[in-house]
Formats: sequence, structure tokens, C-alpha cells
Amino acid sequence: MVTREEIKNIALLSKLYVPEEELDTLTKDMQGIIAFADTIQAADVGDTGFDNINNLSNVFREDVVVPSYDRDLILKNVEGGEDGCFLVRKRG
Amino acid sequence: MKYELVAGLETHIELSTKTKIFCGCTTEFGSEPNTHCCPICTGMPGTLPKLNRAVVNFAIKAGLATHCEIAPVAKMDRKNYVYPDLPKAYQISEFDKPLCQNGYIELESGRRIRITRIHIEEDAGKLVHQRGDTYVDYNRGGVPLIEVVTEPDIRSIDEAREYVEKLQLIMKYIGVSDCKMQEGSLRCDVNVSVRPEGSEKLGTRAEIKNMNSFTFMTKAMQYEFDRQVDLVESGEQVVQETRRFDDATGTTEGMRSKEDAQDYRYFREPDLVSIVTTPEQVEELRGQLPELPDAKYARYVGEYGLPPADASLLVKYRRVAEFFDEAANGLQTPKTVANLILGQIFRRMPTDEEKEACNLLISAGMLRELALLLESGKMKMNLAKSTLDTMLDTGKPVGELVSEGDLAGVDEDALYKICAEMVAANPNAVADYRAGKEKAVKALIGGVMKATKGKADATQAEAILIELIHKA
Repeated sequence: MVTREEIKNIALLSKLYVPEEELDTLTKDMQGIIAFADTIQAADVGDTGFDNINNLSNVFREDVVVPSYDRDLILKNVEGGEDGCFLVRKRG
Repeated sequence: MKYELVAGLETHIELSTKTKIFCGCTTEFGSEPNTHCCPICTGMPGTLPKLNRAVVNFAIKAGLATHCEIAPVAKMDRKNYVYPDLPKAYQISEFDKPLCQNGYIELESGRRIRITRIHIEEDAGKLVHQRGDTYVDYNRGGVPLIEVVTEPDIRSIDEAREYVEKLQLIMKYIGVSDCKMQEGSLRCDVNVSVRPEGSEKLGTRAEIKNMNSFTFMTKAMQYEFDRQVDLVESGEQVVQETRRFDDATGTTEGMRSKEDAQDYRYFREPDLVSIVTTPEQVEELRGQLPELPDAKYARYVGEYGLPPADASLLVKYRRVAEFFDEAANGLQTPKTVANLILGQIFRRMPTDEEKEACNLLISAGMLRELALLLESGKMKMNLAKSTLDTMLDTGKPVGELVSEGDLAGVDEDALYKICAEMVAANPNAVADYRAGKEKAVKALIGGVMKATKGKADATQAEAILIELIHKA
């Protein structure tokens, strides 16, 4: 059972603004989604592990250095770039 | 009432792979900001991680060296949090299926500190805060880490220190990290709680973040122990929270409490497949492990008969231990070689860093040649010492520095004559000796050694000198 409080917390964690009047509808929707997931949960699948269900084997990269990007290119679309750094401004 | 400290440690160790965990950028330390970056390690949309094979192998080696079980199937997860040091807004880590589990490190007392798990993850970028703004350098972002988590088995600050030192040494031996605390390649979070001595129940713990030196760790743990004992004594509650140690004040302060603890919303990293490790791969990696510090120490004390303190000193520096092993291999008296290293050679490497590097002009084989001459009695100890000094200065082998004639030493008549001259030339030292200053004879022995270019037998010279002084 998903509560109104949980919805508020999830919104906070997701950095989403949810107006007070939408909370009840959202809670109901979310309850529906969880209920659907519970239906799947109820399916009997024996003790099959889900860690490697596709039986995919590892795809590794070898430990070999490749040239990094030019710094100007990395910083091209960001604000700042002073002293070769990304800049995160103080808010407010 | 007496209280007991209960602590568990989480140690982050930067792996010394050549490239980052998910891209081919170099992991080199100390370059211009953001010059070791690409779209993957700066979290550009649409990029996909490619797991570095060496990271998995290094982590498995770390697990094997600390008696862990290696997971046949491990997986990676996203740990979500929003902070500028993490460009993707999640860190790729391992949540419920880490690579290694259930290991331990044994302390000298025989007590075992159980290791709950070792998992792999990516490091975050570096933030520099200036005038309220934050400058971000992602060179360190994506550098591979292992996190080694213990059970709350640590009972004193000394045990915490010994555990970290042992862990550090093991990682250096197996070559997975240089573990330089000052460069941040080894950092500890310490969970501390207190309980009345004799109690089995664990108290509420506080976590102190990011200790990057032994001094900080010691101070922070001591402060936190005292703080919690005071709280309990005055009937207050210890709050479960994360605390930061402030070196300037020597105190810890709360960062965030359990109530507003982060919810990381872990979920499986969908862009990476499971990490499957076969028993054959595990055995192959086990075969690549060198002799570990504890085994080396036991061999030095047990087989070589070295005093425990000497054995510890040799084992403490991997390169020194390797040099010693090569030089002492097959000798009757490995102890002689140990003494030369701990004496003459260590004197030339006063700092830990120098011993760590063990950069010498001579090879282990050259020290072995010298030791063989000593062992066969062809060379006296004092000549060996002065010869070793010259070898260390010049890098020349013993054969080029010492002739057959030198090895023959000084015959007794000649030595007698030199000693007589010394006694005659130094009336003050002789008078001092007669007045009871036995040390005065050392100056005379020094003179004799100088006159014979170190070839004389010091013990023999001393006996002759004393005889002459008494006669005169």
C-alpha cells in the first residue's frame, strides 16, 4: 500500500514539485502500478535466480589507455570553464 | 562503569589500474583539471559504461588475499544521489551481489576482524569550493575503487590501526593499489559505538566519514568514544548519524541524522551484464598472488630464525622483503643479510617512502656475493661493512672492490705494530682509558681500522690495544 506521505517523499527525492491537489490522484495511480507489480510477484517461478537470466557472459574492456578528450570539447557546453573546471554556481 | 569501544571500518581503496573503471581514460594522478575525461566519465547522455577487466581481477585478488569467498555471479547497481561530484547523478556500485564476501584479516593477537564484503565502484570527481561557487574536476571521476567493509569486530583504536595497516600492506603486496593515504588512495569511514564492558549488546553507532590519515583516525575515534561515553553516563541517547571530523578543533560534528538519511534507491545497472567468475578463473588469479606478508613473517621467524622485530621491519616494505629474499636465498645465515639490510642499507633510506621504493645501486645478487664471503669466513664483518658502503656508493660488485690480499686481512705482527703506533700517538685517549673511560679505546680502534683501510679484525685490534695500554 502506497501512502500519500511516501509519494511526497519520492517527489522530494526525485526533485519533482507535486502540487498538493494532485497528491491524491498520484497516490491512487501509484497504488495501481504497485498492485500490478504484485500480480507479477505472485507468479510461481520456482527458485530461478534472476541475476543472470539472459546467460550473458561478461563483456570486458582491456585495461589499455586511450587518449582522453580535448578539455575544450569536454567543457564546450557548460557554464564556467574557468581554470579548466566545471562551475556550479551558488543558488539564491 | 568501564566502557568498551566497538568499531567497524569501511575502507575505500583506489585500484592502480591504468584506466578508469568504465572508460579508457588514464587514472594518472596530479594532472590539469578535466584533462583525463571523456563523455563516459563526465556522464554525457547516451554514453554506455564498458567494464575494465583489470578492475574485476584486482578486486578478486583483494578478496582472495583476505580469505573471501568469490561470487560466481555478481552484478552492479546504480546508487542514486544528486551532488556535483557525480555527473550522472548516480554512482555505479554493487549493492546486494558484491564480488567478494566473508573474509577476514588476522591481527597479531590472533583476533580476526571479519570482512563482510568487498565490492567495486567508481570514484567521484573532486570539488573545490570558492566564494560559494563550486569548481568541479572529473579527472578522479570513474577511477576504480574497492570498498572493504568489516563487521563491528574492532575493540580498540590500536586494533583499528593494526587492521588498516595490515590491509594496506596486503594490497601493496598483491599490487592492486599503492594505498597512499596522503593522496587519498586509501580512505576510511569508521563506525563507532560504545557499550558497558562485558555487555554483548551493540550500542547505537555513529559513522565518521573520510579519515585520510592514521592521526585523524586515532583522534576522531578517541573523541567519538569519549563523547558517546559522556552521553551514556549522563543518561542521554547516542543518535545514529553521520559525523565529520574537524582536524582544527579535534572534534566530530553531526552531518546528517538517520531521519534524513539518503535513500539511494539502488537498482540494477541495466547497461552492464552480470559478472560471472568461474572456479578456474579464481584459481588462476590465486596462482598469481605473491607470498603474503603474514606468511613471509612466519617464514622469516620460523625458518630463518630472525627476531620478530627484524622480521616485521623487512616485511613492512614489499620491495625490501623481495630484495632480502633474493639476497638470502640458499644462504646458511640469512640473519647476516637481514642485519646488513636493517643496518647499513636502511641507514641510507631514512624515510618510509625511500624504503618503500628501495632504490639501490646494487642488486640483491651483489649483496648475496658479499654475504657468501662473510659466511665462508673469507671476509671479516668490519671489512664487509665498509665494502658494502662502497658498493652502495658506486654500484660496483664486491669482486671489483676487494682483492684477495684485502680478504687475507692484516697479519698479527703488522696489526701489533699499528696498534703500538696508535697508543704512542694518542696519550690523551690512553690516559682516559686508564682513568676508567672504557669508551676511549673505541677511538683508537677507529684509528687502527682507518690505517688498515678496514681490513683489520676489530675484535683482535681491541684486544691488542688493551694489552698494550696495560703494558705501557
